[in-house]
Amino acid sequence: MKPSAFDYECPTDLNAVLAMLGDTETETSILAGGQSLVPMMNYRLAAPERLVDINRLPDLDYIREDAGFVAIGALARHGEIKASELVGRHFPMMSEAYDWIAHAAVRNRGTLCGNLCHADPASEMPALMQVLDATLVVAKATGTREVTAQDFFVGTYETVLESDEMLTEVRIPIPEAGTGWGFEEVAMRKGDYAWCTVVATLRVVEGRIAAPRIAVSGVGDAAIRLGAQEETLAGAEPTSAVFEEIAAAAAAAVNPPNVEHISADYRRDLLRSLLPRVLSAAASRVAA
Amino acid sequence: MNKKAISLTVNGRVREALVPPRMLLSDFIRHELELPGTHVGCEHGVCGSCNVVVDGKAVRSCLMFAVQANGTEITTVEGYDTAEGLHPIQQAFWEEHGLQCGFCTPGMLAAAKELLAANPDPGDDEIREAISGNLCRCTGYEFIINAIRSAAKAMREAEIQKTLQPA
Amino acid sequence: MKSHLDTNVIPPSRQREAPRAGLTWIGQSIKRVEDPRILTGNGGYIDDFKVPGMAHAAMVSSPHAHARIVSIDTSRAKALPGVIGVYTGEDLASVVDPCPSFASPPIPQTAIAVGKVRHVGEVVAAVVAEDRYIAEDAAELVEVEWEVLPANVDIEASAAATGDALLHPDDRESNVALDESFNFGPVEEDFAAADHIIKRRLRWHRSSAQAIETCGVVAQFDPYKGGYTIHCNSNFYNFIPFVIGGSLRVSPGEMRIVPKLAGGSFGSKVFSHKIIILTAGLARLAGVPVKYIEDRLEHFTNSDSHGSDRLYDAELAVDKDGTFKSLRFTVLDDYGAYLQFGVGTHGNAMAQVTGPYTIGSFGMRVKAVLTNKCQQGPYRGFGSEVTNWLMERMVDAAANELGQDPLALREQNMIKPDAFPYMIPTGNIYDSGNFQKVLAEAKQMFDLDGWREKAKKMRAEGRCVGVGVATCMERSVYGPTEWWSLNNKETPGFTLTSTPESISVHFDPSGKLFVTLHSPMVGNSPETVVTQILAERLTVAPEDIVFNYSDSQSGFNGVGPQGSRFTAMIAGACVSASIKLEERLKRFGAHMLQRRPEDVELRNGMVAVKGLKDQEKSFGEIALTSSFFRLSFPDGEEFDSGLETTAVYDHPLSTDPDEDRKHLGIFYPIVGHICHIVAVEVDPGTGKVEMLDYAAVHDNGTIVNPRTLAGQVWGGTANGIGTTLSEQFHYNSDGQFTNPNFAEFAMPTANEMPRNFKLGHVETPSPFTEYGIKGGGEGGRLGAPSALTSAIEDALSDHGVKITSLPVTPPVLRGLIRDAEQMAAG
Ligand SMILES: Cc1cc2nc3c(=O)[nH]c(=O)nc-3n(C[C@H](O)[C@H](O)[C@H](O)COP(=O)(O)OP(=O)(O)OC[C@H]3O[C@@H](n4cnc5c(N)ncnc54)[C@H](O)[C@@H]3O)c2cc1C
Ligand code: FES
Ligand code: FES
Repeated sequence: MKPSAFDYECPTDLNAVLAMLGDTETETSILAGGQSLVPMMNYRLAAPERLVDINRLPDLDYIREDAGFVAIGALARHGEIKASELVGRHFPMMSEAYDWIAHAAVRNRGTLCGNLCHADPASEMPALMQVLDATLVVAKATGTREVTAQDFFVGTYETVLESDEMLTEVRIPIPEAGTGWGFEEVAMRKGDYAWCTVVATLRVVEGRIAAPRIAVSGVGDAAIRLGAQEETLAGAEPTSAVFEEIAAAAAAAVNPPNVEHISADYRRDLLRSLLPRVLSAAASRVAA
Repeated sequence: MNKKAISLTVNGRVREALVPPRMLLSDFIRHELELPGTHVGCEHGVCGSCNVVVDGKAVRSCLMFAVQANGTEITTVEGYDTAEGLHPIQQAFWEEHGLQCGFCTPGMLAAAKELLAANPDPGDDEIREAISGNLCRCTGYEFIINAIRSAAKAMREAEIQKTLQPA
Repeated sequence: MKSHLDTNVIPPSRQREAPRAGLTWIGQSIKRVEDPRILTGNGGYIDDFKVPGMAHAAMVSSPHAHARIVSIDTSRAKALPGVIGVYTGEDLASVVDPCPSFASPPIPQTAIAVGKVRHVGEVVAAVVAEDRYIAEDAAELVEVEWEVLPANVDIEASAAATGDALLHPDDRESNVALDESFNFGPVEEDFAAADHIIKRRLRWHRSSAQAIETCGVVAQFDPYKGGYTIHCNSNFYNFIPFVIGGSLRVSPGEMRIVPKLAGGSFGSKVFSHKIIILTAGLARLAGVPVKYIEDRLEHFTNSDSHGSDRLYDAELAVDKDGTFKSLRFTVLDDYGAYLQFGVGTHGNAMAQVTGPYTIGSFGMRVKAVLTNKCQQGPYRGFGSEVTNWLMERMVDAAANELGQDPLALREQNMIKPDAFPYMIPTGNIYDSGNFQKVLAEAKQMFDLDGWREKAKKMRAEGRCVGVGVATCMERSVYGPTEWWSLNNKETPGFTLTSTPESISVHFDPSGKLFVTLHSPMVGNSPETVVTQILAERLTVAPEDIVFNYSDSQSGFNGVGPQGSRFTAMIAGACVSASIKLEERLKRFGAHMLQRRPEDVELRNGMVAVKGLKDQEKSFGEIALTSSFFRLSFPDGEEFDSGLETTAVYDHPLSTDPDEDRKHLGIFYPIVGHICHIVAVEVDPGTGKVEMLDYAAVHDNGTIVNPRTLAGQVWGGTANGIGTTLSEQFHYNSDGQFTNPNFAEFAMPTANEMPRNFKLGHVETPSPFTEYGIKGGGEGGRLGAPSALTSAIEDALSDHGVKITSLPVTPPVLRGLIRDAEQMAAG
């Protein structure tokens, strides 16, 4: 299990990276943490002609607070984000979810941006980014654009990124005070890709649910928001009966993959079981 | 294939080499530097037997290319013991029977080393979590957990001894 | 009354060292002598080994489960710079013959497929190149034209397949390679007379050992320098090298196999002949030394070491008072594409098929079915893990149907402590045991009564909590008749009856005791065990013992670590060697002390005059004098220089199978007993199982090193937990192996192990082995699946869920719960 040959570049300047991505003559992949790309290369499921290693780009490993959001740079590693006081304070859900994402040595190298670009349908962070309403900053040689997390994921291993684009930053708005959150996942082992991840945030205003956001991964070819269920939830009372009802509707609405030994029914059952737990956790975390 | 020149420090010694870009760091360490203590069990990032410490962090050497290690400082299992003897973590693995076939051991040691550097007094669940990215098919892990717990204790005690000694 | 067992007479014990209290070294948890070199990275595994001029091999593997090879074009691969050669099955066949097959009649298997492939991952061509990277580049360039044939994936369908779906039409007219029936005792009569017949269809799915190190070989060929030199991590390198030589077309004298430390085996490196033959053949064809280390994908798909994969229709005859009368079953075994050792794994299970219970008769029909999957090989338990689970499932089923307490039913039918040696219907014996004591200890350690109460309360609160108890056998020290005793009597095959272990020892002139082991280390603790036994028997200081491993030419047969045999067997060889060395030490020492040999004894590394304090000579002095000062001793052979000897120990207790197979003889008689008790909580919405509490008590006779034994139990239990909850090889309907990687074949990590595992030991010594030692290398995996399955079923008793198939992964368990919910909802 050895990778095919490739050309290797390791620029120290973002513009050089973008220029190389823009050169469409050579099939080029960005090498970030390598924790998804290199296994695929070792299996020869991926064989890019050229790797552009971004690990030596300066000043991209930041996690910093800006006007109402936290910005995470393309070289911020999972492990740093997990340990970040800033992230823990504003997005405790991320710190919690990171306990379930791979293991320490993988998190030491893997990046959040690489993880999002890899777009594994069973990956947790794509769901979290949608619930947290993140904006992704995408650069190419001719300029940058911003894409919402909700619009970013297209399908299995597929995003809206063009081959000449690079994700440089994730911006996560700091939730309004009093926002509650819930996270649950089921995987074979802790640290494995999830069979189903369910995340939600909500507030409770005068005994009624406000601004609910729910996202799931593992039950389709990409992580998705559950818009219809959010609508039903908005204005409802946070009772277990309501949560059960929402979960039943959500389970009926999704169209999970039916692969051998992990049936679509099973993934629906997981959503059905986890969603009420997530919602009641979120409701109970709403600050008074 | 254009080979790349790299220079890095491995177990305190500067090593220079010309490597093809695709050469995995694990192969470079094992076969070019001839340090066989770093093991390869899966080459897809799951087993952890290839873990080495790069710039203070345990990483999968099967998921890094040797070129990427240019300028880094790497410690492999061969760099743990000193003239005085085994590193306290190695010693604890010996005393607590933390290994059987030994194939997972270098990776376990790297994970333990990183853990104890950050947390000198970890609880059992923290130890479990720290080695959960390392598969061992022999031990059932219990004695590895005991070993790391007892290494932590020995290292804390050695630290105290050091501070008690007159400068 | 005449019994079918009358002709199976138990031979007298050959034990020389009686079990006893007050031993100095046996029973101590000394630190392993193997560890320092391994801990510092100098273990010396196969991939650490290189020779000058060595090239590297990579394989072209079949993407199809079953296909004819129409043509292979290697020209592009050969043209790649750095490639030394590209070889097909025909090329390899020009220098080597098919792999050894112990099936009878044999089913031919070649290391590179010739004509057709029979499973995904089977090798169709091999590349030898300057390095592994280039070899893999070239492998991608080999073009194969295929004619795809029907894939046999389902056992029952494959058994009925015809025409193009036949795997080996030249050798077998059906995919059923073997179909044999046996009755041990009055099975028909016992069933006819029984009040209840409990029936279950039980399924055990395929997984494998997946040691963290794969199999590997470095082979050199030079006809002028002794032929082949082969370094490898096989367990079996020194038991049947002549068989490998047969395939390589050389005599054992033209082939030297050198063992390397193996990074775990659990059976997977026992039958690793194919990779040896393949690599050696490539070295000969390429004219350079070749290294081939399986990568993980190859190890999953082509290592010939998949574990048991069986479908049982089982029946237990029970009287209304709960007495077990008879057991019988039909088993269809999904063997995969070849049958390297016949139905040896079923032979193995015959050692303890009726468990710890008094069951008067046993009947079986075994059908070995060929399918388009990688073939089976050994995995910790070697088939007995499945029948242990079957027996315990049947007992739980009986308890359920009879409305009895499962534990009480076990206790009622358990063999009593005064009944040993106890012969079971198949003819094997249980040498000794006290199952009641093991159970009592486990109950107390676990607080079983307390837990049962607690579980009941938790269930009343709506939680799915349950407790499971398993009382199982752990046979150890195998005899080789298991390989062939179930073969058709007309074609019994190679009717091997020896499984020796041997050792060479000598004192060097400085007084160090040099020990050469004749079988390899695979993660067990051979040097530690031998150190403890030799220190015990000879009073030599452990730090004065030095170890070496023989190659296939420099040491007598050693069968090596497998079948939980090594510790008991090497103890026998150590005792034999010690007796011989003691005699020489005393002869030389007595002469130096000017005494008679009868007047001296061994004491703390010295030969000392009995009853006197300062009249002694150290082993070092004696070794030095006997090595360098011949004229200090009288003439005569008995004073030939030096203190050295070799000793061989044969199986301590075995008999031949009955000619008509009325019984199978004694072949696996040194039995341990294990009791596992576990409490689990099931999340009914997700099917996830959490272990709340776990206790295991094992009786492995006299314990040499409690800590290394505990390590074996832990490790085996982890394997058993994986087997039960998460590990399964998935072949889809096209015969594609869909999860051959560590991400999807889910072996437990530290997080998946129980948090508060309690381990206890009872020591009922064997009357047949030295010091009463029994083996203990497999017990965890022989007990955990039964206990866990039982606990899960108990936790879901309110749902009425019945578990008849392993593994119960969360999706499987959730499926069972969903079915039960739907049934309940009407
Ligand atoms: C054992 C193991 C367990 C794991 N478990 C989980 C898990 O439970 N959940 C989970 O979500 N993940 C898991 N992962 C994957 C891990 O999270 C990866 O780190 C992550 O998916 C990829 O990040 P990376 O920085 O390593 O990206 P790389 O592997 O370097 O790249 C991944 C892909 O993204 C592209 N890319 C990377 N960065 C950028 C960028 N800035 N802009 C544009 N394209 C880019 C690359 O070209 C490549 O195609 C696991 C990995 C391993 C080895
Ligand atoms: S070899 Fe690198 S993780 Fe397994
Ligand atoms: S000691 Fe063998 S794999 Fe861990």
